[in-house]
Amino acid sequence: MAADNGGKKVAAPALAPLARKAAVVLRSIWARGEGRFALVVLALWLAVSLISLVWTPQSLWSTDGYHVWQGPTAAHWLGTDGTGSDVLSWLMAGARTNLLIAVLAVALAGVLGMALTAAMVSRSATVSGVSAVLVDALISIPTVLIALILAVPMGASVAVIVIACGIGYGLNLARIARPQALLAANSGYVDSALANGASWFSVLVRHIMPNTMPTMTVQLSLSAGTAVLAESGLTYLGVGVPSGVPSWGHSLATSVKFIDVYPLTVLWPGLIVTVVVVALNVFGDVLRDAVDPVANPALREVA
Amino acid sequence: MPTNPGAHDDDGATKHSNSMTSGEANAQDQARGASASTDETLNAHVKGASSGASGKGANGHGKRRWPWLLVAAVVVVAIVVAVVVLRKPGSGQAQGKRADTVSIGLKLAPTNLDIRNQSGSALDQALIGNVYEGLVARDGENKVVPALAKSWEKSADGTTYTFHLRDGMVFSNGDKLDARDAAWSIDELVRHDYHEAESLQNFKSVTAPDASTVRIELSAPYANLLWALTGRPGLVLDREARYDPKTQAVGSGPYTVAKFTPNDSITLKANARYRGPNKAKTQNVVLRYFGDDNAAVNALKSGDVQVLAPVTENLAEPFVKDKAHFNVAAGDDTDKYVLAMNSKGAKTSDKRVREAIRYGIDHKQLIASRGGADRPMGGPIPSLDPGYQDLTGLYPHNPAKARRLMRQAGYTPQHPLRLRLTYANTYGTELGDQLRAQLKPIGIDLKVNVVEFSTWLQDVYDNKDYDLSLVDHNESHDFSQWVNAKYYYNYDNAKVRALYDKAMAATSDKERDRDLALAARQVSEDAPADWLFNYRITTAQATGVKGFPLNLNQVLLPLYDVTYTPVK
Repeated sequence: MAADNGGKKVAAPALAPLARKAAVVLRSIWARGEGRFALVVLALWLAVSLISLVWTPQSLWSTDGYHVWQGPTAAHWLGTDGTGSDVLSWLMAGARTNLLIAVLAVALAGVLGMALTAAMVSRSATVSGVSAVLVDALISIPTVLIALILAVPMGASVAVIVIACGIGYGLNLARIARPQALLAANSGYVDSALANGASWFSVLVRHIMPNTMPTMTVQLSLSAGTAVLAESGLTYLGVGVPSGVPSWGHSLATSVKFIDVYPLTVLWPGLIVTVVVVALNVFGDVLRDAVDPVANPALREVA
Repeated sequence: MPTNPGAHDDDGATKHSNSMTSGEANAQDQARGASASTDETLNAHVKGASSGASGKGANGHGKRRWPWLLVAAVVVVAIVVAVVVLRKPGSGQAQGKRADTVSIGLKLAPTNLDIRNQSGSALDQALIGNVYEGLVARDGENKVVPALAKSWEKSADGTTYTFHLRDGMVFSNGDKLDARDAAWSIDELVRHDYHEAESLQNFKSVTAPDASTVRIELSAPYANLLWALTGRPGLVLDREARYDPKTQAVGSGPYTVAKFTPNDSITLKANARYRGPNKAKTQNVVLRYFGDDNAAVNALKSGDVQVLAPVTENLAEPFVKDKAHFNVAAGDDTDKYVLAMNSKGAKTSDKRVREAIRYGIDHKQLIASRGGADRPMGGPIPSLDPGYQDLTGLYPHNPAKARRLMRQAGYTPQHPLRLRLTYANTYGTELGDQLRAQLKPIGIDLKVNVVEFSTWLQDVYDNKDYDLSLVDHNESHDFSQWVNAKYYYNYDNAKVRALYDKAMAATSDKERDRDLALAARQVSEDAPADWLFNYRITTAQATGVKGFPLNLNQVLLPLYDVTYTPVK
């Protein structure tokens, strides 16, 4: 793998350093079979989400009571659901909802996780002590419970999933990133930076965050996968995506009752969720190796 | 608890949890199958990639892949074997001989057996006509027929009813049943205001002039009195018996309660002391309750139960196909899927909007999507209730007319009217999705809120904060909701109230039915709601089951005639 990349390192000399780094990272991911799989799946997900904004094979709002639960036909490639709507169209449109949920949940989790990590490694003993205890206490609340509580005032909505997942995964993230952040925060170079008048914020951004990056990427990627799963589960429970909003969870929830009779209709959303979640998990692993200068020599050469 | 609850209860519980875990196991198997195939895709991918790069890598991957393929193959074979084995219906029972136990799968379970205080039609379904009997009963057409009373007369002014009881009747504990028990039962009901006491309107007194005569006096005629007596108000209980009504039942019916497990099952045993005409043909009947539809279907498939009522029509598909082992049929019922349109709502108070919605809905398509057993209905009275009349011609499906009405009201598909539809999640999301799709082209943007039943009760039923609401009103003889201005419909029409009062004061059924029909037509014309369809219960039975009632079997389930003769 290292040899592969060695030959390609001078491919794009005109690019800015950051873009060049990104290109190297992408290439290192692509060089591995599982990385290629993850990239292809994620690119397809993004592409389908964008396409579904302007085009789906059939209108989402056309129902046909006379042709429900049909198998694949020329007009409906994946058949129809219990209202006679086109399963493929709903899955395509569901891709964008799930992408939105995954991105927003990960963003929220990232921000919250970073903020909590910063608090936990604070040099003020009160702040770090209280926040560490708080995170340990809050982490014991299941994400589903947070979602159920949020659903009482908010009703079923995308925001419920995003907030519940964001909080749940953010707490996890902080807990996992803490050791590395602590190591960096107590290191000699941070001491020296502070002594030279660097602000606490710049220390956080320039020293602590980069050190927790490998852990964060894996964890956030896993969180994205879990968010997709959580969407399915919460929508099944009726507190997730509201009726009328396409999502994979919606497609699963409406067809799972009939798994004995029309197993094909459940298969498609189930398969998609599984493949995407596997791809996200694999992606996290591969990304960690690719962005870590210790593990990826090609990256060291660019830097 | 009656005798020896431990072992049997455990048995029931285990069976139940077994069926649940088998469901979970299926899901797990499925997940495993899916992930196995994902692994394969992954590996295939790796193979394609590495064969392009270097031979060494491909070899390495090839070695690692085999154990996984083997595991996947074993899992697939195991699933196939399991499916083939489990598919075989009937579990080695003797052929051609009538079984002494029939198990029946039902849906809604009673939490206790207290017929006086516990609400819920599950209790009526299990006990009335089986364990308890009333003065009168109703047949499969919802008509009043003799039960403990062999005959009755009504005075000319309609205020005095005299019932003549059958002779020689006893309760299951051996106590004699006579008119004093009947009078005491009704008197207690009214005095303690037990469940459904309010359905005995204009009630003045009940007396027992002699051991075989019961007389009910009314303060004014009430045309639904006899029908009301077929339900809980007319039941005759033993005034001398002492028992815990929550877990035991002492009645005069063809069955006794042998065992009751809350929320799981009721075991009925033939009443050896029963002397009436409805003698039990099967010694034991087990009523089993399945909250989960798939668990219920699996129970019928595997032969754990011989009858399933109700079964979702789309779920019954495999039974419909397997004609050799099962037979699926639908029976009439009084369930009305009412799409209420808030008559005082900000947007729905405009009659044009309400009419447009009624013209815009394609009822036939809704029914077809549910399997086709349900019946279109154009007004508030279903075919099994007095005053029924086919009103489906009042608002036929006519999208052009609906669009015109909406345009008059100021809305077009480009500038649609935003309406909320609120309903409980027990009815599934399909109906809401279909209504949204059907109303979109006429200029209505429907926002569907599928909520918990308790939320529906609070928002719609109590606070009347809704535009559209959907609920299954399953009660029979419930026209009074349309004359109650405080009901969540917010509907009030003096003409309808006058007609209903006249119908209830009628001294003959014919007059009553005529006035009710007129009132129903008026309600339908005012369009305070749309009646999506009259739900009919689909029942699936194993071949060899006879005598199971199809009509009304969610509230009225006389079991004395049920037999099961296993075939092949």
